[in-house]
Amino acid sequence: VSAAATPGGAARAARRSALGAYAVTAALALAIALGSFVLHRNRSYREREHARARAAAEAIARGERPAAHLVAGGLVSAAQPSARYPFLRRRLVDGRPLGGPGAPPGDKILYDAAQRAEREGAQVRFADPDGALVLAARPAEGGVAVALVEAPGGPAGLPVGLLAGLLLLGALVAAGGAAAGPAPRALGLAIGGGALAAPSALWGGPAAAALVAAVALAGAAADRLGLLARAGAELRRQRIAYGFLAPAGLAMLVLVAVPLVVGLALGFYNHRHGTWTFVGLDNFVHILSGGGRALSDPLNFYFTLGVTVLWTAANVLLHLAIGVALALVLRQSWLGGRGVYRVLFILPWAIPNYITALIWNGMFQSEYGAVNGILSALGLDRVSWFSELATAFTANVCANTWLGFPFMMVVALGVLESIPRDMHEAAEVDGASAWQRFVHITLPHLRPALAPAVALGAIWTFNMFNVIYLVSGGAPGGASDILVTEAYRWAFERGERYGLAAAYATIIFLILLVWTVLGTRVTRREAPP
Amino acid sequence: VSRARPPLALRALTYAGLSAVCAAVLYPVLLVIKKAFEPGHSFALSPSPVPEEVTLEHFRALWSATGAGGEPLLARFALNSALVALATTALGLVLSTTAAYALSRFRFAGRRASLTAFLAVQMFPATLLLMPLYVLLDRLGLLSSLVGLVLVYATTAIPFCVWTLKGYFDSLPRELEEAARIDGASAWGVFFRVVLPLARPGLAVTALFSFMTAWNEFILASTFLTEESSYTLPVLLKSAVGEYSAQWGLFAAGAIVTSVPVMALFYLLQRYLVGGLTAGSVKG
Repeated sequence: VSAAATPGGAARAARRSALGAYAVTAALALAIALGSFVLHRNRSYREREHARARAAAEAIARGERPAAHLVAGGLVSAAQPSARYPFLRRRLVDGRPLGGPGAPPGDKILYDAAQRAEREGAQVRFADPDGALVLAARPAEGGVAVALVEAPGGPAGLPVGLLAGLLLLGALVAAGGAAAGPAPRALGLAIGGGALAAPSALWGGPAAAALVAAVALAGAAADRLGLLARAGAELRRQRIAYGFLAPAGLAMLVLVAVPLVVGLALGFYNHRHGTWTFVGLDNFVHILSGGGRALSDPLNFYFTLGVTVLWTAANVLLHLAIGVALALVLRQSWLGGRGVYRVLFILPWAIPNYITALIWNGMFQSEYGAVNGILSALGLDRVSWFSELATAFTANVCANTWLGFPFMMVVALGVLESIPRDMHEAAEVDGASAWQRFVHITLPHLRPALAPAVALGAIWTFNMFNVIYLVSGGAPGGASDILVTEAYRWAFERGERYGLAAAYATIIFLILLVWTVLGTRVTRREAPP
Repeated sequence: VSRARPPLALRALTYAGLSAVCAAVLYPVLLVIKKAFEPGHSFALSPSPVPEEVTLEHFRALWSATGAGGEPLLARFALNSALVALATTALGLVLSTTAAYALSRFRFAGRRASLTAFLAVQMFPATLLLMPLYVLLDRLGLLSSLVGLVLVYATTAIPFCVWTLKGYFDSLPRELEEAARIDGASAWGVFFRVVLPLARPGLAVTALFSFMTAWNEFILASTFLTEESSYTLPVLLKSAVGEYSAQWGLFAAGAIVTSVPVMALFYLLQRYLVGGLTAGSVKG
């Protein structure tokens, strides 16, 4: 007799399955509650400690000695050239020179704080990564009042008891509801899961509470519709598959998905001098409208996009043509030394691509580069490769073709090997010419098998940072930059416009995504065996 | 593949073409070798790939470069690079093999979504994951540590490895696994004793790619690693041809030292390359 056959057993089973549904809901609600707690705690800690430091600076400005918690501070005088070394700008704190031999370690902080406050006005900030020290500075009579204050206590601890109590209460409500019938079960899940809304409202305001309530309601609805039970059954049925997938999935989630989402989100912010402001779609509008630049300006998005598309098309075509041609030749049985050629031709693939790129950069240098050396040995004019877009682009394509064709060749070789030999032989017996055999046997085999490699190659080329960055370096004036290098420059070489760079990255991502979904069959080809 | 030999003219043309490709492939490599063994730091004007004078001064300079504490830098960087690359390979291989096996053999909810996700993440420019990753690693306390670098490299290598390996697993017959299951082997037993030994070519290629990803990367390494003691070889090489002075001799010597291990590995595993890379796509 199974447990569910008796009335008590049925209630027990219902309670157990309801507790499973509750656990899923409560875990989500707990994550929201904890998030709002941490944000709330950090905000109130910052406000409290900033106020304490500001008050200390005020006291110093008034000429009082602030009482407790002051680590260093005082009235810092305006900078004066030192008498002995006029290039040294010295400041005094309460009559004592800042810095110099044997000075306390806090002097540097005081000096810098005074400098910043003179330039930017009163300010207050944490002086160490842990947030244990707070620095406040404000201009005052006779200099800058600076206070470095130690926080007397850390931020408030997590109310473990409260959370555990609420979770237990919620579990009891959910289990009780489940024992009473289907309708009370949904109600119990909604109320039990929503129990955490109360502290969330306290910490994160109505938005956090609404989020928790929505999670609880969604959990109850999913349970009612049997979605949770089905997901649980699928998880149990395929537990081996999920177990195999989980480690990679988790790693990807933490180290790729999280940065990716953050990267996508940064596109909606503007970064200036260390502060982030939400600007909505401004970055995207700025980029997609060309940023007020003419279409012929290398910094115009559409100019760069054009270069990128040309770059990708040229490279993929060359890789494909050279790779397939070589693979076809290397398949000929009359050819001597096939193994030697094969080993030689994958050499470029084996060399790290940044080394290749730097070598080609050296070879295209106008004064000492080998390419110009060959040209002048042939009696031709030397070319200043990196001073015009067309030649710089050519140099980039040369370097990338050199390093990229072996991949296509190896893939094509593999495909050719898989074509059954008897097909060719039968066709030959039937009198088909070499060209006919190529068009009617080889090509139909090559095309579908090469499609994923071409798609992958196109994605790699579209985002090929190293070659562009190291061969032409975007010369002249950023004209030969592609979207990736352009975005990199906005982030790291043109005034830390991180938001703009992130928006570029998002646009690149969307272009490639749309192109893959529409244009190729990489995912669709993958049919169940 | 026809047994008949084409006419002599065609054969001559083919050999001429192949020789031209050989020359184009070898020329830049020979230039680097020449530069590495030639005295002086700038490239000579002469396009000849044969050095006029042979010296070991660049290798000696590379070898004898020491850090602040007098420790030899080259050995240190090479050790760092090797540690990072090997750890990346091990981690990437373990994670992507199991994931690819699940994606190839099981039909579970979310399978198609996972496959698409593994493909899609390759489209986000890795260079621009730099900022969020920087913040994330900083929060995790792994900035400027080789462990952080290994984690980042392994995760960037995983998507490609998963797709390659899944293709390879798809091409393996399932009958053997079913027979092993009937004989009483567990799922893990089948995976370890039947699937992995069969998938050796695919695994070799995947390992090679993970290794090369880590060994060759310099943007993330030069951004994250702030202490000289944790630099990897690419960071050293990039600094040899920095913005202010281009020491091509030193660079060329360093390039040879850096490339040789990768090339050795590449040629060791190259017989697996054709099969390992294309098995899945051919069958599909």
